[in-house]
Formats: sequence, C-alpha cells, structure tokens
Amino acid sequence: MFKNAIAKFAASLPAPEVSAHCDGPCGVYDPASARIAAEAALSMTKKLLDLGDPSDLATLNTQARYIAIKEEQAHIAKTELLVLWTDYFKPPHLEKYPDLHDKFWKAAKLCSEVKVHVSLEQAQALMAAIEDIHNIFWATKGRDVKYYTAS
Amino acid sequence: MSVQFHSDKPEIADATWRELFLWLFRRRHRFRVAGNSMAPLLQPGDLVLVNRAAYRRAAPQPGDIVVARDPRQPDRMLIKRVDAIMQDGRCFLLSVNPTQGTDSRTFGAVPVDHVLGKATCRIHST
Repeated sequence: MFKNAIAKFAASLPAPEVSAHCDGPCGVYDPASARIAAEAALSMTKKLLDLGDPSDLATLNTQARYIAIKEEQAHIAKTELLVLWTDYFKPPHLEKYPDLHDKFWKAAKLCSEVKVHVSLEQAQALMAAIEDIHNIFWATKGRDVKYYTAS
Repeated sequence: MSVQFHSDKPEIADATWRELFLWLFRRRHRFRVAGNSMAPLLQPGDLVLVNRAAYRRAAPQPGDIVVARDPRQPDRMLIKRVDAIMQDGRCFLLSVNPTQGTDSRTFGAVPVDHVLGKATCRIHST
C-alpha cells in the first residue's frame, strides 16, 4: 500500500523525457517524395509501352533499364507512402478521415501493381491516389499546398 | 571476433521498496517514456528509475535497458535495450518493438560514454 503511494508520488512528479519514438527526430514529412517516385514509375511505364518489342541488343538493354527503374521507383513510392502512413498520420487524423487506412492500403497496393506490371492505367491511378493523399496531408497541417507534377 | 548477444525476452522489474528508497536518497533518477518503440515492455507515459552510476565501474550488459544520448542529436535522450556489446566496447541498442523504433540499425553502435545509465525498474503510469 505505502509502496504504491510512493510509486504514485514518484510517477506524479514531472520527469525528463526519454524518447522511445517510432521515427527520426526531424519530423519532416512531405508526400512529394512519394509523388516523385510514382511519377518516375509512370514515366518508365510510358517509355516501356512506347518502346515496343525489342529486336536488337541495344533496345533490349534499354527495355531492361526501364523495367529496373520502374520497379525501383515504384518500390520507393511504396516505402515513402508507408512512412507517411505509419509515422506521420496519428489517430486524430483518422477520426477526421475515416477512410485514411483504406486510401493508404490501396495506394500501397497500386505501387505493387505498377512495380509488377506495365500498366498505364494503374500508374495513373497511383498518381491520383497520391494526389488525394497530398490533399489530405496538407489539410491536416492547415496549409494550402497546391498539387503539381514535374512532367 | 567476439560479440555478446542478447536474445532473451526483454525484461524490466517493477519498482521495489529498495528502488524507491534509492530514489528518495537520490541514487535513482526518474525519466518518463515517450513513444511506442519499447512497447509492450514500457508504455508511453511510464516512468523508469535510472541508475546513473551503473556504468561507472561496470560495462553495460546485453539485455540491459539503458538511457542513452541520441548520437544524431545529443540533447535528445533515448531509452533502448542493449542488444550486443561490440568488440570495441560500443553498444548496439535496439528497440523492443522493432517496427516502431529508430535505433542502432539506423544510427549504428553507440559509444559507451553516450550511455547515461541503466533503467533499474519501471513505474506504470496508471
């Protein structure tokens, strides 16, 4: 009993904080990093479709490079989205945007689709999903940041 | 190469009479846990008592829960678990909850002078 009272007293006084936080201390988040990667994957998808059937070594080499970059960038987009989802967004945001989990889940799935396939439709759907996340992200910060793309 | 590892289940004792007396006599310092990286062992808001003299004579041991300076930002203090002691004496610190922590996987092993003390017990916030 008395021990509990002392423990409660010890717990009630202010104490310096030790961090067991889940992210780095910089606190810098921006959906732009996901958008740039997704845009690169979209660009590679377009280039792959335009390239057509490779008949010589040089074209085959170009195709292989496009594929490698598309897969790499789609994966980066997924990682960037997951970091935003798990590190930036907090329970109060979810209250305001109840479909947030669904949006991120679908966007992450789209990254996989863009990575695995050569689909213009899915690459564009991923860009749309990221635009949606961009709008939610900046709304939670109370800032009006216009969405744009590099290309 | 000899590196000591610790793979047992993470543990920290609840506050005992002895620890509370040591706190009353200023042999323990209180720190409050913020964040989820040590869950379920330590929950956000929990208090730990820290023995700042623990490593003056002895070296940290794998399995110890320690308070250490963040090597990237020295005014920030971290609470982590010692996973391994490297051959050069530096400590490899890990979060209990590996999906929710930045630790030596990110910033590398930490020099022993960054380790400020050993968490000897916890006091739950509720």
